[in-house]
Amino acid sequence: MPAIADRNSSSFKEIVAAIKSDKSGDIAGSNGCCIPQKRRLRSDAAAARESPVSTPMKLKSPCRRLNSSPNSPANGIKEDFSEKPVKKNWNPRDVEHMRAVKEALHVSTAPSTIVCREDEQKRVLEFCKACIEQEKAGSLYACGCPGTGKSLSMDKVKQQVIDWATKQEDLQPLEVLALNCTSLANTSEIFSKILGKHQPRKKTMGSTSPLQHLQKLYSNNQARAGSKMMLIIADELDYLITKDRAVLHDLFMLTTFPFSRCILIGIANSIDLADRFLPRLQSLNCKPMVVTFRAYSKDQILSILQERLLVLPYIVFQQQALELCARKVAAASGDMRKALCVCRSAMEILEAELRESASNLSLASVEEEFISQQTAPALEIFQSEENNTVRIDHMALALSKTFRSHIVDTIQSLPQHQQIILCSAVKFFRGGKKDSTVGELNKSYIDICKSAMIPPVGILEFSSMCRVLNDQGLFKLGQSRDDKSKRVTLKVDEADISFALQGVRFFRNCLQ
Amino acid sequence: MATETPKKQLQSPRKPKQSLNNLKVQSSPLSISLSPQTPQSLIPPQAPPRRSLRRTSLHFSSTPIEDSIEYEKSDPKTPRKAVEEIGKISGQSRKGQSHEERVKTPKTPKIPKSKRNDENRKTAKLGILGEGMVEAEVTFSSVTPEVLETKKRKRGEDKTVIPRAMATRSSKKKEKKRVYYKKVVYDEGEFDVGDDVYVKRREDASSDDEVPEMEECRVCFRAGRSVMIECDDCLGGFHLKCLKPPLKEVPEGDWVCGFCQAQKLGKYVEFPEPPEGKKRVRTLREKLLASDLWAARIESLWKEVDGSFWFRGRWYMIPEETACGRQPHNLRRELYRTNDCADIEMESIIRHCNVMSPKEYAKANDEGDDVFLCEYEYDIHWHSFKRIAEIDNDEADDEHADSDEDWNSSKEPDSGTDEDMEYEEESTRNAQARLSTAHLAANSRKGHFFGLQKIGTKKIPEHVRCHKQTVLERAKATLLLATLPKSLPCRNKEMEEIMAFVKGAICDDRCLGRCLYIHGVPGTGKTMSVLAVMRNLKSEVDAGSIRPYCFVEVNGLKLASPENIYRVIYEALTGHRVSWKKALQLLNERFSDGKKIGKEDDRPCILLIDELDLLVTRNQSVLYNILDWPTKPHSKLIVIGIANTMDLPEKLLPRISSRMGIQRLCFGPYNYQQLQEIISSRLKGIDAFEKQAVEFASRKVAAISGDARRALEICRRAADIADYRIKKQISTVNSSTGKDIVTMAEVDAAIQEMFQAPHVQVMKSCSKLSKIFLTAMVYELYKTGMGETTFEKVDT
Repeated sequence: MPAIADRNSSSFKEIVAAIKSDKSGDIAGSNGCCIPQKRRLRSDAAAARESPVSTPMKLKSPCRRLNSSPNSPANGIKEDFSEKPVKKNWNPRDVEHMRAVKEALHVSTAPSTIVCREDEQKRVLEFCKACIEQEKAGSLYACGCPGTGKSLSMDKVKQQVIDWATKQEDLQPLEVLALNCTSLANTSEIFSKILGKHQPRKKTMGSTSPLQHLQKLYSNNQARAGSKMMLIIADELDYLITKDRAVLHDLFMLTTFPFSRCILIGIANSIDLADRFLPRLQSLNCKPMVVTFRAYSKDQILSILQERLLVLPYIVFQQQALELCARKVAAASGDMRKALCVCRSAMEILEAELRESASNLSLASVEEEFISQQTAPALEIFQSEENNTVRIDHMALALSKTFRSHIVDTIQSLPQHQQIILCSAVKFFRGGKKDSTVGELNKSYIDICKSAMIPPVGILEFSSMCRVLNDQGLFKLGQSRDDKSKRVTLKVDEADISFALQGVRFFRNCLQ
Repeated sequence: MATETPKKQLQSPRKPKQSLNNLKVQSSPLSISLSPQTPQSLIPPQAPPRRSLRRTSLHFSSTPIEDSIEYEKSDPKTPRKAVEEIGKISGQSRKGQSHEERVKTPKTPKIPKSKRNDENRKTAKLGILGEGMVEAEVTFSSVTPEVLETKKRKRGEDKTVIPRAMATRSSKKKEKKRVYYKKVVYDEGEFDVGDDVYVKRREDASSDDEVPEMEECRVCFRAGRSVMIECDDCLGGFHLKCLKPPLKEVPEGDWVCGFCQAQKLGKYVEFPEPPEGKKRVRTLREKLLASDLWAARIESLWKEVDGSFWFRGRWYMIPEETACGRQPHNLRRELYRTNDCADIEMESIIRHCNVMSPKEYAKANDEGDDVFLCEYEYDIHWHSFKRIAEIDNDEADDEHADSDEDWNSSKEPDSGTDEDMEYEEESTRNAQARLSTAHLAANSRKGHFFGLQKIGTKKIPEHVRCHKQTVLERAKATLLLATLPKSLPCRNKEMEEIMAFVKGAICDDRCLGRCLYIHGVPGTGKTMSVLAVMRNLKSEVDAGSIRPYCFVEVNGLKLASPENIYRVIYEALTGHRVSWKKALQLLNERFSDGKKIGKEDDRPCILLIDELDLLVTRNQSVLYNILDWPTKPHSKLIVIGIANTMDLPEKLLPRISSRMGIQRLCFGPYNYQQLQEIISSRLKGIDAFEKQAVEFASRKVAAISGDARRALEICRRAADIADYRIKKQISTVNSSTGKDIVTMAEVDAAIQEMFQAPHVQVMKSCSKLSKIFLTAMVYELYKTGMGETTFEKVDT
């Protein structure tokens, strides 16, 4: 087994073990598809999908268990969930139901309440309130991995701040500018946007740049009286990084002017952006406050998913399926978008399965009508009862589609000559070499071809095949003008290649 | 006269092309109604259904007829006028039968049934109206000689009208006798191919049937000879002396009339009513812009078997009829050329108009009233815009070859043999098929289309004309990369997946945005599959089972810089060309903020980006923006990205791959069975290849790259070689003994040619002395064991 697949399967083992321990072992017999070996799992799941009619016993038990004994909660949220009044059965054949679920799970639908990010939101909100009340400038920097709800939380905070500010009579109304830095055509355009918010009427003079204008505005005492507090939310702040870092620096410097009245909230992925790019701010003692959004843990992902599904009046996902998804995604990246995508693709798998079984069933029922008139309707009832939720095997299939490495499949589907090139590369790099050139690799390839009496292809063809392998992510080609002198390194593990090619005797001999 | 008013001269050369009639027209406005030459008088006095009938809904307003009845009842002061009206109506009623017949025959097969019913009802109503007034007509018809004139011509026309459906059915038999012309003198007007004309709407007519050659003043409602000025906003004409305060001369720059100014300020404006009994007449231009008329460009002219003249017209569209409606940047006189064609009788041409490119338009001052501006071609199927200049450049060579052949026959209309004519018919059909995909079905006789898809190379024009294609030639034609195969074997699973993805995305009411990333090695049918899916979906949209959507296709290689994609997308969506910065801002407004500009803007949009990896910039902001839009609530954007690189999402920044989602689709390289199937499905019915030869070629390609393009090229080359061999045989031995079939030997030769490195061939063919030099060098290298040597040593 190749290394990567091993890693995957081991994590999978862990997850399955965890689920097993959670559920006190009663899942063990229920789904035969959770065999902790990657390739087996896939084929079994596929088999189960292809013939759901033939293996009813296997699939029946988890659902029945869920329906009959929903009292194995792992945490408080789940308890909440199971204690709700019995929900209607979800019917995946109903287009309307399907649509509602898809909508609930889509990235763009913002949930009404954001669970699991209360702390961060509170901190930001407090910061904003404090700044507004004291009428002083401040800066805040929110960082975290993609898909951890930064922009969403900031949107909520923005709304809350606006609501709060309008309620306070003694405060001046608040100006809010929320922008995404990627949508700027030019990095310094941000200043003209800020200025445009400040003075929507006035046109900027040709002589002074917007930045100079702003600096003058903020360092001038007289301007203070008329100007309002300003909240600037800059998403994807690192797009403002230029070579001399001037724009980013100037932006944060705006908050340090004596009469500045803007609150700057920056959002980006890198955790140390402020330290790396704004060393001078530290010396001025106005480092931005940093709020970190950690990657979601499995419990958080689970509760968010449940929160989203709460709006629906029916049960869509099996509890274990959601948990498997949460665990797997949390282990990989903690990216909420991925979790949502996986859920959706699991649903689509179920949808496809239903479609297939419907056609199978109609065929089967026509056939069996003459033989026995009782089994067919019985089967049908069984189908409609048991197939109504997204089960753990669907989820496992969707997860494996997402997180599986495709290397072995890719190698196996390559044309033979490209496989030979891979072989020669493996042989070539066995001696402890790290990289070589295309020309040398070609020599080694010709050697192998000659030993097997295969006519080798020309050097032009060879280099174009190397490019294809580069595209497939198996090689890494360096930059060079001359094709022959490009550096080549193997990007996949040797074990992967030998595993993928072990079925063919020629390659086995070659690699020994 | 014309020189006095350089700005907008409305008066004199209104009809530059119909110079024959100009004098008469200018002499007095009265003569207009009497001139038999104005074909507008043919227009039956019926309600004007919207021109959008061709595509969308149809509003019937029968007010003009009721108007005329009212005239009769309530307007005793102007009996003559009323009588005239009645006369016309009843004149029409006589022809009710023929008219109905014409209406029933669908002009284009796209008209939904409901509309046709509508029309039938309409004509029925007319018939009833007409019946009551037959007497009136008898009594008064002599007063209005023009009506009689009309009737005569109408009757003549009755015979010639062939219902469209029949015409196409019978055209197979009769097409041999069709005669194509380059220029036709019809109705005292000369019509060339490439001219633009006003076309009267078939089943309808306009409310006022006398069409003035000169526009009337909006204030005094008289045409007169004095100088008029045109408002730049409403295009209404005003006498200088009628204005308040009167103007002495035409002012420089833009001039907007007082009514428009007041309207802009939000005041209610009361337009001056025309004097009693006199209806405000509209010029053709006004009617066109109010979509009561159509404009078309003549693509070809021919005479039917029965002597009637027909032409194939390519429609123009006014901005209101496009999917996005009139937009602020549209000029008043702007039109869009469509890719929709129809066969039209010459009878329905009214007269010439001038549609110009922006450059010509800027120069044109005194061309009169019938000047229009056209900068873009509008794709009626995808609702997208394209610059005409670009298209013309693209197709210049093909177009030239084809159209030349069209015109040949006009010089010698009767000398061509039957076969000749048939070929010409086909070539025009091909040319038309390129223009509009809707007519594809008609072209499927031979099972292949030309130049339709964007895969591979361009179509090679067929030069051999009076020559029956041999088996090999047919095989070569079908193996061309440019020919679209009837079926796309071996990619069914992938196509189903794409289909499910797109359908799942656009069928929802809310249309959630999504992304799909397609990757695979070159030549595995990625783009072709997506386009095939789009064609299938298109037919479903036509059938009405799917809501309409727009489809924008961008190729990363064709962009000058990655940022330009904003401009291209925006231009395709709205037909407006702006700089990429502005386009980015506008697209952001549309997709992220959910601000909808036009009425049709909320239809889902599918964006296909070919060669996605070329959009990667240093900070990857272009990809970020494009992939960020689908995650916004109201974007309704579906992005399909195609690239060769398998691990592109992993190479990108994590925030981008997070937004890209997990929808991937891999097109693996073909194996030899699949290649074999592809080739043999293309060659179905053509017995030109040995089975082993095909298998050999496909195995050879599959072992190296699995590229279908390669396999097809090899087979075509092999067919070339075989063709050459056979021809040589025929010329040397004077008997055709050799089998005209491609064998292993030819395929082998083709493969050698393709895969062998060129330097071997160079070495084989170089002169004796250089060969000696090479051997000496090899010898020297062996001897020394070094990689390099000096020139001296080789010399020794």
